[in-house]
Amino acid sequence: MIVDARMTEVSELETSGESRWRVLRLLLRKRIALICIGVLLVFYVAGFFAPLVAPHDPNRQELTVEARLQSPSSQNLLGTDRLGRDLLSRVIYASRTTILFTIAVIVTGGLILGLGLGLLSGYRGGWVDNLIMRVGELLGGIPTLFLMLVIAAAYRQRINDLAFWMKDNTFLGDDARPLLYFLIIVGVAVPFAWVGSARIVRSQVLAIREQEYVLAAEALGVSTVRLLFRHILPGVLPVYIVGLSASMAGIAGAELALSWLGLGVDPTTPSFGTMIFEAGGVRTFQEYPHLLLVGAIPIILFLFAWNLLGDAMVDLVEPRTFRR
Amino acid sequence: MSQGLAGYIIRRLFWAVPVILSVSILVFLLVRLAPIDPIDSLLGLRYDEEMAERLKAKYGYDRPLHIQYLKYVQNLFQGDLGVSTRHSDFSVAEVVIPKVRVSAGMGVMAIALAFGLGIPVGVYAALMRGTPIDPLTIGSWLLIDSIPVFVSAIWVPWFLALKLGWIHLAYEGVLHPNILVPVLLMSLPGVAGVARLMRASVIQVISEDYVRTARAKGLREHTVVITHVVRNALLPMITVIGLSLPGIFTGSLFIELIFGIPGIAAEALAAVRAPDYDVMLGLSLFIFVLFILANIAIDIAYGFIDPRVRVGAAKGG
Repeated sequence: MIVDARMTEVSELETSGESRWRVLRLLLRKRIALICIGVLLVFYVAGFFAPLVAPHDPNRQELTVEARLQSPSSQNLLGTDRLGRDLLSRVIYASRTTILFTIAVIVTGGLILGLGLGLLSGYRGGWVDNLIMRVGELLGGIPTLFLMLVIAAAYRQRINDLAFWMKDNTFLGDDARPLLYFLIIVGVAVPFAWVGSARIVRSQVLAIREQEYVLAAEALGVSTVRLLFRHILPGVLPVYIVGLSASMAGIAGAELALSWLGLGVDPTTPSFGTMIFEAGGVRTFQEYPHLLLVGAIPIILFLFAWNLLGDAMVDLVEPRTFRR
Repeated sequence: MSQGLAGYIIRRLFWAVPVILSVSILVFLLVRLAPIDPIDSLLGLRYDEEMAERLKAKYGYDRPLHIQYLKYVQNLFQGDLGVSTRHSDFSVAEVVIPKVRVSAGMGVMAIALAFGLGIPVGVYAALMRGTPIDPLTIGSWLLIDSIPVFVSAIWVPWFLALKLGWIHLAYEGVLHPNILVPVLLMSLPGVAGVARLMRASVIQVISEDYVRTARAKGLREHTVVITHVVRNALLPMITVIGLSLPGIFTGSLFIELIFGIPGIAAEALAAVRAPDYDVMLGLSLFIFVLFILANIAIDIAYGFIDPRVRVGAAKGG
């Protein structure tokens, strides 16, 4: 039976034939991780230095028959869209939107709130646990996309008014509107970003704190901070990182989804969501496949790289998996 | 069921009441304070002051907010969710329940498919650990996961319907075979997440002492795998399964929009855009109550499967 053979391999990896596979696989893993990091770096660097990297202004329109809906050429490496805008430049600026969004949400929501509150909740228990979990329920239970829709659609007029006010009364000027829209979708995403990871961390902590080594450490009088970070955190990390890396793609997806619905970033800010929406439709795809491909392939690559990297990282972080 | 667990469940249900009430206030305020007016969109070009006043009085929108809220809660306890202004005063239940049926039908299929595929794939990948098969399996599902629904919902119909002419896409009801493609597109992205967590969980369990003991006892390999490994590895999955349960009813907005399926998500978007106060409120409370129940179910399931958690919860709470 196939299962039998594999199980023996997992438990007894000393035999030479088996370990060759292991080395190869570790290498493969590492190489996958390296490739992913490389791909993501391209996105993050290109996105960050978008104004320097992009060959054209992403919003410059050219409404002539020769300039519109062109297939890739030496002039426009990825072709042009309906309004004659250079698609390569739009892809680069769209990457910028995506990466800034992921960074903003992951630092505030995933890392600080998710891990911190999860540890606190699982370890302290009692009313702290109750409070955090109930607040989590409150936020996690409100249908996320629905609330995003309410805020983005129903409050659009008020947001617009605020944007005009900011344009006139702050130093931001014309940047006020895109910035405000960006902050709003970040603000809408953060309250929901931590709930999932906090819950996962908590459930792990609950199981781990009953383990002998944690009880032993507690009995030895190890300080709470040391106990949390030295003894409990390493056990929590693998599942947490799976959760976090999975949510990375989901977070990028939130911006994508909102922009696709026309409720995300400001229309002047290029985004993969709006690019895909503009190219959407089966008939449009049949007629001008490059419109959808140019918008979709980079973001699929981006999400895929994040997913793969998270998957590969689990093995390196989890000591038991790594040692073998 | 032990005394501690029963008390724990009662405490949880007791906690749910203020949580549900505060959410209803939150959503109520969020909906009512938005700078949108259902009367405006109801009257459209026929707008005139007197008519608007009369309609406002009819729906009670002219009264102070807290009175409106109390009235809403009072009606809620009598099973009255209000009326849909967008659907010429049909009751919210009449408007929403057929859509919930559609979404629930699709949701059950999609979630069953995602877990039915994801759990075996995860176990298989974990058992294949150390060979290239493991990363290849997980990797290919991750690639599928990385394709946004509104991209695959263009590509797949284009290929299957236009290029090959194999399928029709018209919505003919939840039980018609035409629903297969939307359900597949809904569920396949979820497989990778399930499989990955299951794999990580199985790997963790495999190195436990009791698995070694079971093997040392001379149990057959598949007995060890099924009763000792998979069963225990399912513990972290309970959170995932539980959290995805409300998703059965909430539907997939993009699938519903792209394939023209009259589900709950498309209705929610329409209700936000219209706006349709009572439908917005009713939908969000419905989904929220489902979510709370799912959470309580998760905790109960934890207590049954892993007694350590029950001890921890009793000690903590």
